[in-house]
Amino acid sequence: MEKRGIYQRYLNRFGWFCVAPAMAFFTLFMLYPILSSLYYVTRRWKGMSNTFIGLGNFVRMAHDTIFQDALAHNFFFLVIQVPLMIFLALMLATLLNQGIKRFRGAVRLAIFLPAVTSLVVVSVLFRVLLQTNGLLNNIMIQAHLITTPIGWLTDAFWAKITIILAMTWRWTGYNMVFFLVGLQSIDTEIYEAAEVDGASKVRQFFTITIPLLVPVILFSAVTSTSGTMQLFDEPNILTWQGGPANATMTAALYIYRQAFFVNADFGYATAMSYVVVLISGIFAFVQMRLLGERRAK
Amino acid sequence: MSVTRRWSAGRILVILILALAAVISVFPFYWMIVGTTLNPNDVLRGILVPGRDFVSNWLQAVKNYNLPLFFFNSLKIAVLTVVFGLVVNGLAAFGFEKYPSKARDKVFGVLLLTLIIPQIALVIPMFRMFAFFDLLNTHAAIILPSIMSVFIIFFMRQNFKMFPTEIMEAARVDGAGEFSIFVRIVTPSMQATYASAAIYLFLGQWNSYLWPLITILTDTKKTLPIAMASMMNAYTIEYGALMVIVCISVLPVLVLFLSMQKQFVAGLLGSVK
Repeated sequence: MEKRGIYQRYLNRFGWFCVAPAMAFFTLFMLYPILSSLYYVTRRWKGMSNTFIGLGNFVRMAHDTIFQDALAHNFFFLVIQVPLMIFLALMLATLLNQGIKRFRGAVRLAIFLPAVTSLVVVSVLFRVLLQTNGLLNNIMIQAHLITTPIGWLTDAFWAKITIILAMTWRWTGYNMVFFLVGLQSIDTEIYEAAEVDGASKVRQFFTITIPLLVPVILFSAVTSTSGTMQLFDEPNILTWQGGPANATMTAALYIYRQAFFVNADFGYATAMSYVVVLISGIFAFVQMRLLGERRAK
Repeated sequence: MSVTRRWSAGRILVILILALAAVISVFPFYWMIVGTTLNPNDVLRGILVPGRDFVSNWLQAVKNYNLPLFFFNSLKIAVLTVVFGLVVNGLAAFGFEKYPSKARDKVFGVLLLTLIIPQIALVIPMFRMFAFFDLLNTHAAIILPSIMSVFIIFFMRQNFKMFPTEIMEAARVDGAGEFSIFVRIVTPSMQATYASAAIYLFLGQWNSYLWPLITILTDTKKTLPIAMASMMNAYTIEYGALMVIVCISVLPVLVLFLSMQKQFVAGLLGSVK
């Protein structure tokens, strides 16, 4: 009995030995930053020195229209881009799964391909493609779709569309793969039965495919939402520092600029990052709750 | 019922939609490869047939923009992150899964909670910390914070669940120590898991932008994404050389993806299981 206890303690100690290195990294690069941010958030930087201002940074935020606009831009991208992309990915996955037999693998590969590019590469490519005298405008003019070039990068409205286009190009194929895996788990007999009942393919898509894929759709929505809340690379490179005139400024980019670019106000930047964490947390919580409810049913 | 498939309007529409999606997805790749052979003006206008400036673009990318150095920097940082990341996260996942304890499960719960924290919220205190230790503008500053990944620990733990504990028991009876069980028996049979985790870690680091942007201060320390981004800030952009660098930055990931599609997708899908 005694011997067994010693052995169990040995195994337990070995368990701690296994997780120890990861815990050390976690403490240094996750726990410590989180805890020390509690200090930064209450202080105001002026040059090299800083002073305690309590909740002053949050008061300042209430008057900072650039930050509020930046958050509004995040919401705008979220509300338009995420549903658009999920719908496209779902549609493409369904068409691939049911519509064709030949070239299925090749088409799937092609549509997934943008997911191998980094956000920096996507931003660089789209910034070149979407210049006023660039490829897309030239093609559209030649096809007589437009008469004057669109200011993809210079017009406040079109710049937002540009960000959405770039994100959709990068992520649709990626999300489609999730849905393809989800579709594989649906019994084909359900579709056969619907076919017998005379339900059209479009009807089957909305009454069978979408309801059965809700868990995967929610998962996709959770990850896309958190990605959109952190949007940084695209507005910084593609539309160049959130331009034109802050039209594509996002929360993450504004925080970065306050801390590292414009003025080194680490306190204010930390306070703003708290708001982003809070909002992301609320979104994740709500979406997870929805997911949990589905599972429970 | 006829044997040949009917070419109904619906079927044609399906094929058209899929073909369009495939073309839109692949076109920028074709365009950027052609771009490496064009002069800057033709890149911008979007000429789609190869030109003659491949050699001069390449030379410019190598000489004026230090492409080999940036490539080597990116590669070194990504490979070291993968090596350390696999050891640290693999061992942790094994410990959490195969040595069950209430205390460690609580720790694991805390780890998972931090998954929702966006990177932007961590970079400010981390920047101050690295400045304090005088480690800014080093590659260590980029590698160290990305070694431990909660997502990878979670992903690998899910996969370790499938490894039968009976085999470990049998090895113990044969007198094997716990560490050698992990190294000699468990790790070799989890190669697919390690491959997926390696791809995930490599991609994350190879493509990372925000943290290197904050920590890298001098030209010689730059990675490919930082180099590309700063080229876009120049007054005149050398589009030909830019396309060469873009291609070089995409190529390793493309090769990785095409040669290991299964593990690649498993790395992305890990969390859905």
